[in-house]
Amino acid sequence: MLVVDGLDVHYGDLQVLWGISLEVRDGEIVALIGSNGAGKSTLIRAIAGLIRPTKGTIRLDHLLLNRRPPHEIVKAGISMVPEGRRLFPKMSVLQNLRMGAFMKKARHEIEQTLGWVYDIFPVLKERSDQPAGLLSGGEQQMLAIGRALMANNRVLLLDEMSLGLSPLLVQNLFKIIAQINETGISVLIVEQNVPMTLRLADRAYIIETGHIVGEGAAESLLNSPRVREAYLGIGPECEDSLGGV
Amino acid sequence: MHSRKIIPVILLLAVIALFPVMTRSEYILNIMITFFLYVILSESWNLIGGFAGQISLGHSAFFGIGALVTRLVWLSGIPVIPALFAGGIGAAALACSVGIPCLRMTQAYFPIGTLALAMIAQITIGNIFPLPGSLSSEYVAAYNLSSRYYLAFAVGIFTVLTVYLFARSKKGLALVAIRDDEGAAAAVGVKPFQHKILALLVSSFMAGLGGGIFAYQHVSYFYSAPFELSWAFLPTLTTFIGGLGTISGPIIGSVAFLALSELFVLNLGEIHLLVFGATFVLIVMFLPKGLFSLSVGIRSFLRDWALRLIGRGEAKKL
Amino acid sequence: MGQTLVYGILNGSLYGIIALGIALVFGIMKYLNLAQGTLIILGAYIGLYLSQLGLDPFLSIPVVMVALFLFAAVLFKTCFSRLINFDEEEKIKNSLLISFGLMLFLDNLITVIWTSDERSITPAYSGITFELFGLRIPLIGLAGALLAVILILLLHLFLTRTYFGQSVVAVSQDQEAASLMGVNVSLTFLTSFAISVSIASIPSMLIALQSFSPTVGLHWFNKGIVVVILSGIGNIYGVLPAGLFLGIIEALSVYIFGPSYREVTGLAVFVLILILVPKGLFRRRGAA
Ligand SMILES: Nc1ncnc2c1ncn2[C@@H]1O[C@H](COP(=O)(O)OP(=O)(O)OP(=O)(O)O)[C@@H](O)[C@H]1O
Ligand SMILES: [Mg+2]
Repeated sequence: MLVVDGLDVHYGDLQVLWGISLEVRDGEIVALIGSNGAGKSTLIRAIAGLIRPTKGTIRLDHLLLNRRPPHEIVKAGISMVPEGRRLFPKMSVLQNLRMGAFMKKARHEIEQTLGWVYDIFPVLKERSDQPAGLLSGGEQQMLAIGRALMANNRVLLLDEMSLGLSPLLVQNLFKIIAQINETGISVLIVEQNVPMTLRLADRAYIIETGHIVGEGAAESLLNSPRVREAYLGIGPECEDSLGGV
Repeated sequence: MHSRKIIPVILLLAVIALFPVMTRSEYILNIMITFFLYVILSESWNLIGGFAGQISLGHSAFFGIGALVTRLVWLSGIPVIPALFAGGIGAAALACSVGIPCLRMTQAYFPIGTLALAMIAQITIGNIFPLPGSLSSEYVAAYNLSSRYYLAFAVGIFTVLTVYLFARSKKGLALVAIRDDEGAAAAVGVKPFQHKILALLVSSFMAGLGGGIFAYQHVSYFYSAPFELSWAFLPTLTTFIGGLGTISGPIIGSVAFLALSELFVLNLGEIHLLVFGATFVLIVMFLPKGLFSLSVGIRSFLRDWALRLIGRGEAKKL
Repeated sequence: MGQTLVYGILNGSLYGIIALGIALVFGIMKYLNLAQGTLIILGAYIGLYLSQLGLDPFLSIPVVMVALFLFAAVLFKTCFSRLINFDEEEKIKNSLLISFGLMLFLDNLITVIWTSDERSITPAYSGITFELFGLRIPLIGLAGALLAVILILLLHLFLTRTYFGQSVVAVSQDQEAASLMGVNVSLTFLTSFAISVSIASIPSMLIALQSFSPTVGLHWFNKGIVVVILSGIGNIYGVLPAGLFLGIIEALSVYIFGPSYREVTGLAVFVLILILVPKGLFRRRGAA
């Protein structure tokens, strides 16, 4: 389905991604794991068309997506929840959701999709007339996800959706992502909380300073000593964080 | 500056210094004084626009107030050099009035605020002094073009040196750091606002000196003439065309502007502005370092090309 | 005094529409278009040409509108499109500089084509006034004020009631996020710029009915930008009240100090406001 092959990305003269290849198959949840500055957001942004890769290809089925502007990539079927939510702060919740269905094909189904999103996030319905900028952090994140769902696309890219949210809320969002995935939407997720993410995902890739250095079934990575050492820490005090979902 | 470069510069300055001895032509001497004025104004603009990255569209206000104060002080019987100094101070004071509020805000405010200031100044001075100011007979009798020439020349050198030294000083480097990344500069403890204000003060002071030269040069002019907006547009154009944030750029730009305006003055009024406007747009779009960078670019392109030819020749030989 | 206010209000609504074009471009794209005044004057010359062909100035507004729209689209493609993905400060600075160069270029091009003579269009009804509560109200000025109100209402409907309008609002709030919703940002920029410039056709005509010459564009730009900053940068609903405010202040200063300080009073109020309330007088929370 979504296949990234040999991707290089530069910021000016600075190369940050080196020959990245990965794949998200139909109906999968794939996690992308790496430390700060590894290039996770850069990769997600390149897939969404916000940065133009210097080399390599991005395909959705047989459609070649690299070199296309973001609005064409959304049309091709990929939606993104960007890092930092990026809502339209002065628009109401409902207007934000409607913007999510800006594409013609989504516009036709807007009423059903809106009902579905309100079912997933009932709080958005209660707040529908409030300006997005006045929502709480958690509500804003729900709106960001809901807005991306409004496009009715097959692939969802999630960049650090749990940043700054309370653990309880994060657990909730993870359940919702699993629920969304059950409707057939494939998910590529970037998260700081590695154990939780690996429990949610089917497969995962590990990215370090712009290179993919490991991949595999999420469960086996969760138990691999290397991952435990690098991302979960070793030693008793870290066992807590493995408490998980 | 490399010592290799210093010798031709000194030679050139010596030749310029000899002009009044070599020629009696008032046309040539006046053109040269205008050239010095352009250099003073452009280098002064370059300090705030090029090094500090704040586009001033109101340098005519500083130039004009310098002219006005110098003229009035000088005509009150005070020697011209203190009068010039007073003009510079007047310009710096005026710059504070709009500079301090505007430089606190985003990019949009400073150009607009300075433009508004320039317009206020032009109209107000035109209202207060509706008639041209002429020198009294004793001043006319004492009028001597070569003294104007040397004073303009000296202020020109002073201005270029000031900008040169300022740009290389710690404050100048901090200014460039702020221009390139204000957040990063502030993070290492550089105070953006204070540095910008300092640059504005020095810049407007020098523009005021330029205005003073204008007042000293002309026998009779409308007091609002040095306040005309063309004095604000001129340094913006010359500095961009010659090369923003460089020392030689404004000088090159001034030469180009003067040459082109003299060339077209015989034909149609303002064709040189048409040419300069279009060139300016192209330069902002394609050559942010000015026309001068093109010549550097061409040189390095030719050098690369030559090297490649030589390289290929050698490869063939092997 | 009452008469003074009438003129202040009528002038103020003209300032308001001029400001609308500048505020739209700034609010949506973060471009500062210094050439807006020059484009207004270009529109006035096109109107003059049409009136010489016998077309009534008010009827020529739609023609001038289309002409300016097309011209602006070309201008955007050639000069401004490369700034689309710059960050905000760089956009402001580069658009300001490019439009500054364009202003000089176009001003002087207009001089070459139409000479620097002062012109005006004077249809048969240009002097007509009528009386209301003992005040004389010039017909043309009143028509201009009505057009300003209608224009702002139409714009409001466009921005809030149409999908395309909503995408314009979205772009103004977060350009990148809008592109992730499937909004073609380059197209939105191009259209917004062209619409903002075509709005100039109304001030073009109102100014053409007064008087104009090739280089007065900057003067009108300045009126517009003062209003934009009074209303709070980027706030398009504040421009009409801010325009009226400036118009009335100017009219009062004419009444008190005489006509030669009209411009200065307006600009001095502006500088004072820059110093005291730099975020603008007519800022409203939640406005686009
Ligand atoms: N706009 C930019 N210009 C230059 N360099 C950038 C830019 N954005 C990111 N980088 C650099 O690229 C590298 C990868 O950044 P990226 O944001 O993709 O990392 P990340 O894995 O998402 O990190 P985090 O976990 O902190 O979000 C970093 O070294 C960063 O400094
Ligand atoms: Mg990131």
